[in-house]
Amino acid sequence: LISKRKPQLLPAGCSHVNAYKVDNWRPNLRVIYQCFVWSGSAETRRRKAKSCICHMCGAHLNRLHSCLYCVFFGCFTKKHIHEHAKNKRHNLAIDLLYGGIYCFVCQDYIYDKDMEQIAKEEQRKAWKLQGVGEKYSTWEPTKRELDLLRHNPKRRKMTTNCTIGLRGLINLGNTCFMNCIVQALTHTPLLRDFFLSDRHKCEMQSNSCLVCEMSQLFQEFYSGHRSPHIPFRLLHLVWTHARHLAGYEQQDAHEFLIAALDVLHRHCKGDTTNDNGKKANNPNHCNCIIDQIFTGGLQSDVTCQVCHGVSTTIDPFWDISLDLPGSSTPFWPLSPGGDGGTVNGESHLSGATTLTDCLRRFTRPEHLGSSAKIKCGGCHSYQESTKQLTMKKLPIVACFHLKRFEHSAKLRRKITTYVSFPLELDMTPFMASRWASTNYLPPGLYVLVRYALFAVVNHQGTLESGHYTSFIRQHKDQWFKCDDAIITKASIKDVLDSEGYLLFYHKQFLEYE
Amino acid sequence: MNKDSQMRAAINQKLIEMGERERLKELLRAKLVECGWKDQMKAQCKDVIREKGLEHVTVEDLVVEITPKGRALVPDSVKKELLQRIRASLAQHSTL
Repeated sequence: LISKRKPQLLPAGCSHVNAYKVDNWRPNLRVIYQCFVWSGSAETRRRKAKSCICHMCGAHLNRLHSCLYCVFFGCFTKKHIHEHAKNKRHNLAIDLLYGGIYCFVCQDYIYDKDMEQIAKEEQRKAWKLQGVGEKYSTWEPTKRELDLLRHNPKRRKMTTNCTIGLRGLINLGNTCFMNCIVQALTHTPLLRDFFLSDRHKCEMQSNSCLVCEMSQLFQEFYSGHRSPHIPFRLLHLVWTHARHLAGYEQQDAHEFLIAALDVLHRHCKGDTTNDNGKKANNPNHCNCIIDQIFTGGLQSDVTCQVCHGVSTTIDPFWDISLDLPGSSTPFWPLSPGGDGGTVNGESHLSGATTLTDCLRRFTRPEHLGSSAKIKCGGCHSYQESTKQLTMKKLPIVACFHLKRFEHSAKLRRKITTYVSFPLELDMTPFMASRWASTNYLPPGLYVLVRYALFAVVNHQGTLESGHYTSFIRQHKDQWFKCDDAIITKASIKDVLDSEGYLLFYHKQFLEYE
Repeated sequence: MNKDSQMRAAINQKLIEMGERERLKELLRAKLVECGWKDQMKAQCKDVIREKGLEHVTVEDLVVEITPKGRALVPDSVKKELLQRIRASLAQHSTL
């Protein structure tokens, strides 16, 4: 039959495009992309809707193609575009669905570098017009990266059973609180990617940069060594930069997390740049990796009960601390086994409190009472009001802190109430505005606001003597228990049945700014 | 063109004009990634490429081989949801 005599596929596409790439071909091609492939504006969309049908059979489906040499649309499936190509000897056509260029001589789609460039630019333009912004495109190595890869031919293959990335941590004297947090951080996918691709450029003169130490830590975890790592340098740096955590007594893992994030954030100065590539001087408007991953925005709405005027503030947060039933602050009783329990697929074992319950309580409107009147700007006097907290901006990694340690004036105790938490969490019910019309979500785009559990820090024992361990997620569905130097395989049930003190969730779908 | 395809063409036109078609495509993409369909298709493509040989395979080969499989493997839940969204978009627009 037809022998597929394919000419050698050059990086510059096939030689048959050369006949097309003459005179004003670039702007012509752009017009075709703008009008018929990726129509961004309302006008081009209308034109596309009306005119993009097959000139022979009127169909709009069937992989419609446009001839590149004249105004002809033909479907591919019924070979109408092929007939046109043969009759008119116009041997190039463009796929109106995906923008690919088809060469009838080569009988395949060809990838001409210049044409690809134009296609990419036009696609981005259309996305911008539609308010979609940047979308994911696969990684293409730069020249320098290609050189690096060629000069370093050794490769590590990550099979499903490989344990690279898992490493125990020696306890240096009640340092399990630190070890757990290190395990959680080294298993935060975005943080791992940041450090393994060498993105930290250190500007600190001394050797006391915590970010550099973090980078070292990732190198140790991904080195393939199986012996436990001794994090003495990390401990020393933490003592240096967070004095309140120094000493050999047991500390609170949550406090350590916040202190660590704070120091990392401060030491990331060298990596923060604003849009123009200039260094950002404002510590509150940082764009460092810590802020990018962990910082969310908590909206507080105070509504005056008299004039119903709302006063809104938004504060950044790295974690959400949740009150538990059984603490001295009254927990709003939610009906056990009611609809709340099934929202996130949590197990509602005979009325057990769920994470969703805690979040519902956290975001419920709270009447502030007559003893806590707020000065209302509308009424110009002190009035009673209600206050409500909601998530304005969701961080990529959401950390939930279950307030198990009570340190009130009269008692110090640990609340061991079981709180069930889900593997997947939908944050929409707790957001400031329900669907699309916030600044952070493109209007009209249906974004899936779902989070996946990837680390759990647990505390066993009492306030006076206790021990921290953690569960971390590896390779999508494998879980491991990290007990200082000892790493063991764990089941999802082990994780979900555990008491839970710090819960780390990672956003499942990432959007570009 | 029979009545069915006329209706399809009209709906398609309306959705393109509204800009809704692009949004629905994005939603569909996200759903198909989420349910693992994209990974399944990727694996199927690799199989076809291995079978035909990297030097000789064409886009057409892939299209012919995996289109029927791809169509069959779309979960009913995804189809249902897309249909609901399309209905909702059209209903919304007709009131304007």
